[in-house]
Amino acid sequence: MTFVRLKLRILKNGLHGQTSRVALFVLGALAGVGLAVGGWFIFALAGLLGSDRGAGIVLPLGGGALVLGWLFLPLVFFGVDESLDPSRFALLPLRRRTLINGLFVAALAGIPAIATLAATLGMVETVRRLGGLGAGAVEFVGVVLGLLLCTALSRAVTSAFATSLRSRRSRDVATVVLALVAALLGPLQIAVLTGAERANWDRVAEVAALVGWTPLGAPYTMGLDVAEGRAWAVPIKLVIAVAAIGGLLRWWSSTLERAMVGTAGVSRRLPTVDTGLPVARLLFRWLPRSRFGALVAREVRYWWRETRRRATLITFGVVGIFLPVMMSISGLGAGPMLLFVGALAAVNLANQFGFEGSAYAANVAAGVPGRVEVRSRAAGFSVYAIPLLLVIAVVTGFVAGAPEVIPSSLGMLAATFGVGLGVILPISVRAAYALPDSTNPFAMSSGAGLTKGLMTFAGLFLAIIATLPLQLAAYLLGDLWLWLGLPLGLGYGAAAYLLGSRLAGDQVDRRMPELLATVSPHR
Amino acid sequence: MTVPVQRAGDDGPAMSLRGLVKQFDTKLAVAGVDLDVPASSFYGLLGPNGAGKTTTLSMAVGLLRPDAGQALLLGYDVWTDPAQAKALIGVLPDGVRLFDRLTGAELLAYHGLLRGMDPAVVDQRAQELLDVLELGAGNRTLIVDYSAGMKKKIGLACALLHGPRLLILDEPFEAVDPVSAALIRDILQRYVAGGGTVVFSSHVMEVVERLCSHVAIMAAGAIRVQGTLSAVRGKRSLEDVFVEVVGGRTSTGSELAWL
Repeated sequence: MTFVRLKLRILKNGLHGQTSRVALFVLGALAGVGLAVGGWFIFALAGLLGSDRGAGIVLPLGGGALVLGWLFLPLVFFGVDESLDPSRFALLPLRRRTLINGLFVAALAGIPAIATLAATLGMVETVRRLGGLGAGAVEFVGVVLGLLLCTALSRAVTSAFATSLRSRRSRDVATVVLALVAALLGPLQIAVLTGAERANWDRVAEVAALVGWTPLGAPYTMGLDVAEGRAWAVPIKLVIAVAAIGGLLRWWSSTLERAMVGTAGVSRRLPTVDTGLPVARLLFRWLPRSRFGALVAREVRYWWRETRRRATLITFGVVGIFLPVMMSISGLGAGPMLLFVGALAAVNLANQFGFEGSAYAANVAAGVPGRVEVRSRAAGFSVYAIPLLLVIAVVTGFVAGAPEVIPSSLGMLAATFGVGLGVILPISVRAAYALPDSTNPFAMSSGAGLTKGLMTFAGLFLAIIATLPLQLAAYLLGDLWLWLGLPLGLGYGAAAYLLGSRLAGDQVDRRMPELLATVSPHR
Repeated sequence: MTVPVQRAGDDGPAMSLRGLVKQFDTKLAVAGVDLDVPASSFYGLLGPNGAGKTTTLSMAVGLLRPDAGQALLLGYDVWTDPAQAKALIGVLPDGVRLFDRLTGAELLAYHGLLRGMDPAVVDQRAQELLDVLELGAGNRTLIVDYSAGMKKKIGLACALLHGPRLLILDEPFEAVDPVSAALIRDILQRYVAGGGTVVFSSHVMEVVERLCSHVAIMAAGAIRVQGTLSAVRGKRSLEDVFVEVVGGRTSTGSELAWL
């Protein structure tokens, strides 16, 4: 309880006197209420309609989707609210058990957790209508367990991923593991989708029943089992859920300890002698020996050397390749996903000034012009992003068995990436926020996760809207698009990028000190 | 190292602050600071913690926008003519991170190119600075793994690299070991002897007394005393003057008896 009070106090002090943050918080709360109400209706619908079968599908699959959402959304979009940084407690005489319990309870006190609980209460309503009060009560227990599972999962995975990202060797292992998890989602998704396509509800129901026996769906189907006269299943599912939560907490606890001890900083021992002149050591051979070159070189090094950026980059790489490939395999076509991926690449720059925090002071003190600043950052990121987009276009083309679409896919990717940059660069100047000085690359200060999420979605949405003319062209031109796609896409993206970077650059010129103040963590 | 060649014959103050005001939320951090730093002076800005030294210097170098007032650096207004003013000064901010995922040599090259210097000059000066400040020209350790004192030294090297005519240093001696502090003092004294101007903040009386030609004492967001060291100090020690001006409490011996 002390931990919850501490977290709420930090939140309150953070909001104190900061109108924009209060507005964001309110916006986030409203979004939470919206999602909660929407979710409640989705989950309660089966009950309101009195459909046993619907409940049998929606509860396990919906619950499973929620759990997976808690697993992936923090990694990809939101980060975890780490206003209670575990390493701050390292010196206090607390037993690990107390600490874990405290942090866990505090993690539950947040908008996402409350919204999830509210939405899943819709399941309780469904079960109550189908099976009476007793079944509803069991389902309520299940729903609460489900929330605990979601929270424990997101904490454990981000913490483990953060710990493993710290060393070079295990970083690659973590990447592979994440990729495998993403890959495992594929077959499941395909089974559900193909089932749904053929309106083969029996098959969907089979999958749903199966999911109900995994930790993903077990907590959410307990009440349903009572309602359908399978009360014997409840203790088993209870054991499955509780064991999963316990295991996750244990895992979290062990990675947390490593994180707490490791805060002193693991220094990478490089060979200490390096001949070569300073300028040559900073710049890559292909960069101009100028201000722009220096800025780009620093960005390129930062995207790899700084854990937060590296985590962003790796996550994007995995998501960017797997999503379109999965869509191609499942036969739905990678087209819409390409739009999403191109924009998602640009969205990685949404808080580009927040990454290095107060170090930006060096550029302010040197008076770097805004456009140079913004364009060098975009160029530095593109060094990683453009080859990746190239790979994505080629791989999806071959996976779909249609290599002739590769040029036009590339054009579409270039267009969405360019438009995404055009949209995101001004946002990155206006809506920058400070990141906490934490060793966890997914850590966010309270409320910032929401900012990040909102900015991400706004950026994605705007970028996809802004490429509508091109999508229309692709649709109307038919086969001609295969040839015109690349030049049109490149031109469209470049124009949008130039416009956006010009706008953003002028904003930087006007607001340099204010920008520095917003990205400096409050001390 | 090369002491930058100074243009002679400049009149007027090197730094001149007029009525600088900064309000944070409810707290008035700086309440109208006027300060004149003569050219070629070694100027110490003294004050207890929270007096507003960092805030004042941040506003003077263009890192923090003042609510009111003016900051002239070598005749250029840093808020209306930032490009000219910023080109002539070297800054060591306090409580600000460096680009610490670079090595020392990389950071110096970065700063040099950022200031539009010729790459060959950057190479030559950067290596000399790394050598003189004992940071190791071939050292491949990232700055994030440097000790606090080494971070101060590399920050100072970045401020010196482009040969500015005015150095504005926030707490340059904090967390620096005595050997390095002596080295930094030596470098700064040679810089001033060569015609440069140094403004630095500190709360260490001994350093200020030993180095400075001029001092200003700040408390609660305002300059209380300013002038040459001898005029401010008179016949007393600087510490006595400081405590009197700031209004510190003296121990009666009865509090904290349980210690």
